[in-house]
Amino acid sequence: MDLKERVCDELQKEVPKGASSTNFNTQHQQKWEDPSSTLDYSTRIEPPFQAFNQTCQTQSLLLCNNQIKVPMQDGSINDLLQQASKIQDWDPSAMLNNLSFLEQKIHQLQDLVYLIIAQKGQVLGRPDELLVQQQQLVTADLTSIIIQLISTAGSLLSSVKQTLSAATTSLGQCGEFGGVVFPSSAQRLNDGVQPQNAGGSKVSEPPNSIDITSNNGNEQNNHIVEEHELKDEEDAEEGENLLPGTYEILQLEKEEILAPHTHFCTICGKGFKRDANLRMHMRGHGDEYKTPGALAKPTKESSSEPTIIKRYSCPYAGCKRNKDHKKFQPLKTILCVKNHYKRTHCDKSYICSRCNTKKFSVIADLKTHEKHCGKDKWLCSCGTTFSRKDKLFGHITLFQGHTPAIPSDEIKVAPAGTSDGATNKVGSVNFNLSSYVSSESEVQSSSMDIKGGIDDAVGYFSPLSFDTCNFGGFHEFPRPPFDDSESSFAFLLSRSCNYSQKSGE
Amino acid sequence: MLSFQSSKNVLSLTEDLLVRIYELLAAESDRKSFRLVCREFRRIDSLTRRHLRVIRIEFLPILLRKYPRLQSLDLSACPRIDDGVVSLLLTRVGPGSNSPSLGHWAWGLKSLVLSRATGLRFSGLEMLTRACPCLESVDVSYCCGFGDREAAALSSAVGLRELNMDKCLQLTDVGLAKIAVGCSKLEKLSLKWCMEITDLGIDLLCKKCVDLKYLDVSYLKVTNESLHSIASLLKLEVLGLMACPLIDDVGLQFIERGCPSLKVIDVSRCEGVSSSGLIYVVRGHRNLLELNAGYCLSELSTALLHQMKNLNHLEVIRIDGARISETSFQVISANCKSLVEIGLSKCVGVTNMGIMRLVSACINLRVLNLTCCHSITDTAISAIAYSCRSLVCLKVESCNMITEKGLCQLGSFCLLLEEIDLTDCCGVNDKGLEYLSRCSELSCLKLGLCTNISNKGLSYIGSNCLKIHELDLYRCTGIGDDGLEALSNGCKKLRKLNLSYCNAVSDRGLAYIGRLEELSDLEMRALHKITGVGLEAVAVGCKKLADLDMKHCEKVGDSGFWALAYYSKNLRQINLSYCGISDMALCMVMGNLSRLQEAKLVHLSNSTVEGVELALRACCARIKKVKLFAPLRFMLSSEILEILHARGCIIRWD
Repeated sequence: MDLKERVCDELQKEVPKGASSTNFNTQHQQKWEDPSSTLDYSTRIEPPFQAFNQTCQTQSLLLCNNQIKVPMQDGSINDLLQQASKIQDWDPSAMLNNLSFLEQKIHQLQDLVYLIIAQKGQVLGRPDELLVQQQQLVTADLTSIIIQLISTAGSLLSSVKQTLSAATTSLGQCGEFGGVVFPSSAQRLNDGVQPQNAGGSKVSEPPNSIDITSNNGNEQNNHIVEEHELKDEEDAEEGENLLPGTYEILQLEKEEILAPHTHFCTICGKGFKRDANLRMHMRGHGDEYKTPGALAKPTKESSSEPTIIKRYSCPYAGCKRNKDHKKFQPLKTILCVKNHYKRTHCDKSYICSRCNTKKFSVIADLKTHEKHCGKDKWLCSCGTTFSRKDKLFGHITLFQGHTPAIPSDEIKVAPAGTSDGATNKVGSVNFNLSSYVSSESEVQSSSMDIKGGIDDAVGYFSPLSFDTCNFGGFHEFPRPPFDDSESSFAFLLSRSCNYSQKSGE
Repeated sequence: MLSFQSSKNVLSLTEDLLVRIYELLAAESDRKSFRLVCREFRRIDSLTRRHLRVIRIEFLPILLRKYPRLQSLDLSACPRIDDGVVSLLLTRVGPGSNSPSLGHWAWGLKSLVLSRATGLRFSGLEMLTRACPCLESVDVSYCCGFGDREAAALSSAVGLRELNMDKCLQLTDVGLAKIAVGCSKLEKLSLKWCMEITDLGIDLLCKKCVDLKYLDVSYLKVTNESLHSIASLLKLEVLGLMACPLIDDVGLQFIERGCPSLKVIDVSRCEGVSSSGLIYVVRGHRNLLELNAGYCLSELSTALLHQMKNLNHLEVIRIDGARISETSFQVISANCKSLVEIGLSKCVGVTNMGIMRLVSACINLRVLNLTCCHSITDTAISAIAYSCRSLVCLKVESCNMITEKGLCQLGSFCLLLEEIDLTDCCGVNDKGLEYLSRCSELSCLKLGLCTNISNKGLSYIGSNCLKIHELDLYRCTGIGDDGLEALSNGCKKLRKLNLSYCNAVSDRGLAYIGRLEELSDLEMRALHKITGVGLEAVAVGCKKLADLDMKHCEKVGDSGFWALAYYSKNLRQINLSYCGISDMALCMVMGNLSRLQEAKLVHLSNSTVEGVELALRACCARIKKVKLFAPLRFMLSSEILEILHARGCIIRWD
């Protein structure tokens, strides 16, 4: 609560200042480009500001996009957000409205939390249900507050486009923005926000500055999503509603796409995947390549006009990603093009060495798969495998007639005396006692030597002919008269015969 | 019984009339007499018989051929049944000797009891379930080796309604899922001691088998999650949760809101359950018939009592081990008027006044368990006897203050009394037994540790309580041969007798015991006077003897054991520990008793390792449980131990 209030206060303090709109923008620039910050642009030297006008713009745009992607429980919040994102011109009164709404909302939430605290001591009856409901309420409210907050900030950023100037800004404010707003946002929003921050820090050589975020988002997705190869590309572009004609379409040739290297040394001809690596390589060719200027990332010529957005087309005719397709969906970056082309139009030459069934055309996909391969030990009768038992059971619950399959290696060898052997040995169809008993005993004695001097197996198994055994000296003992009525009807109604079996203590 | 002269008239009766007469015969012995009259009667028997419990498997093929109309087959007493036997039965046994219709006997079979059939495995089970298309009920309890494969085999019986899988130790969620998906008509399922089952399996079961009326998950490590799933079962009537350590009051909250048809719930020995949990259950189910909460309540709280006021239909309540006040009895008796059974075993605070208040209104009580309620006296017993005229079962073990006065009241008013447990009530004497013997319906009498009774007291029982089938005389040192004579003259139906430590009993006494033809369980530990002669008399006379415990009968010689080996063909369990049995006699006993399943053979003073080895070899095909002297573990050949293990025999080393 305290944190939220502080955020709110600080925003209120800051927003009425006229210059704050530019501040936001430049803060971002600082954040991205300042080598002293946590970002990892070690090889880079101070870039000119102008180049990043566009960055900011797209960032704000992407920010909004990402917000939309945030899983939301509340439809109204979504609407609100979209409304907010539509605001083109910065309207201070609208901003004030937003902020006072936020203030109200926070107060409401505060009251609710007070209520919860007060109730905690009393309620014993059904603590779980109520608490869960309350928690959900609080979470929902918090989420809506955070989203509102960010969308307010977002509207501010989008308005920057018009009022942009080369104004510099203080690092202190930068810290305020970066340090307060983002970290205080709920986890759910972090999902949407952080890829941008992380993206900026990871890619050392984006094809052009515009694509930093999307490129990275894509790359990350590649690692996370394994199975749905095409889907991740689409995911990355979800929400991008560029109108046809507002961007430049580039189409690389097949050979260009499949070429292992895209950057070549002009001196020795060695190829590299990344131009940063090429620059590192160039240092070996002489001192002139060691200057900060030579090692710096080459940038586009700075201009005040926004550069045209570039999008890519797949060279494969008939593909949805091909520019001639009716429902053409452009690819965002060269990396997207490469992965798309390999996955969709090339042979899957990488085979998983563990399962020998899964094939991939992108090696990163194989590596991702190998991490999880062999862990699918839960098998359904339909052939689907699951890495987790609860997933299998969920599947079985859902589909009529599916059952879990029992792995075949657990099959135990059936005990001696199974059908075939036993039936063959019983010669007579007329099934009398002796033939039955002998067949059973033959089968059993094949695996174990029970007789202990008794040659006649029948004698052992038949309780009626014990005297055939060679226990010397027992013949003298008087044999009981054969009680036919008792032994040949050796069954009893279970009701009348109450044999309770004693189990061991 | 039918006389010879009238037999012509009887034979002229039509078949359907004979069938009707046959169906009126309740006792097995009567039916046996019936079928021995003539061929025609025997034919009626074989045509009409629906149920068969087989004791000796060697006769199974003949019996199956003889009774074509079987609906229920009980093989639980056949230790030797395995996949091979099943295969033979299905391929060889048809209705006629040369009939091509194989396995015909199985077509109409609805119920199959395979309890303790440890020799059976999934292939045999699969054959059986395939051969019996009408199968509705299967009992595979205590088949400890059964697991998922066996469950998969069972799941092909799609019409299955009742399934008992108690102690199928290898069963996991996967097997349960097989059954849940395959047998969706399941109404009754018992999963006691299937320790591998988790919430996931129970959840799936509750989603797939929505017709479940009876579910027992006692002793499982399931949590409240399972109760959440179970609560969705609309038809559930009986829920067993005995000794589930992980469930608690929160889980019972789900039951409060679910299971609208619940009638019976058992939460006894659930460590996590307290009276607030029971309040939920009681609040949600006003029509509860049976509440089993033994050993989970420390106290019958007033809040719970307040809720119990609404249980007007409650018939059975067990709150063993709880503290209970006199006013609680008042509340129970005022509200639960239809109470039939109350269990107060080891309850603290049970007083004469409390009992008097209880029985003042609960006059329908039939079963009353007051075990270890030490403070009750003749006053309480008199009140019970006076109010509850239909009392059937009274357990007052360790109630030392009960004397002949109380028993006098019981003998005067409770003439329907069938079972009374007076173990360790030292106030009971011959006079008391005389009064008690007026209860002529008495069938179960426990007098263990009642040292004040003598032959005279027993003679009253022997002459009046002719229906007795269970008698416990453990450590009744006053009992001698004369008492047993009186007993054997009257109590011809005696099936279970405990004579342990009745030192005065000699061979003459055992000769009287030999007259009890129905006797199946005999415990006679440490009878130092008896010899082989006495044992022979028992073996010859008690043909139905199935369980014999003669630990510490050191004077019994080989002649007695030989007699046992020849005559006691129905013996299933035997305890020969500390007996002077020789190697030869041991081999005879173990080898010749074809129904023997369990033997305790510890400290056999006259036997050698070789003798034990040979004896084990002689019975290894059918023995299921054996207790042996621990050092023998290293002296017996590994081969025999492996064979025993392979046959599913459990060895306990002592």
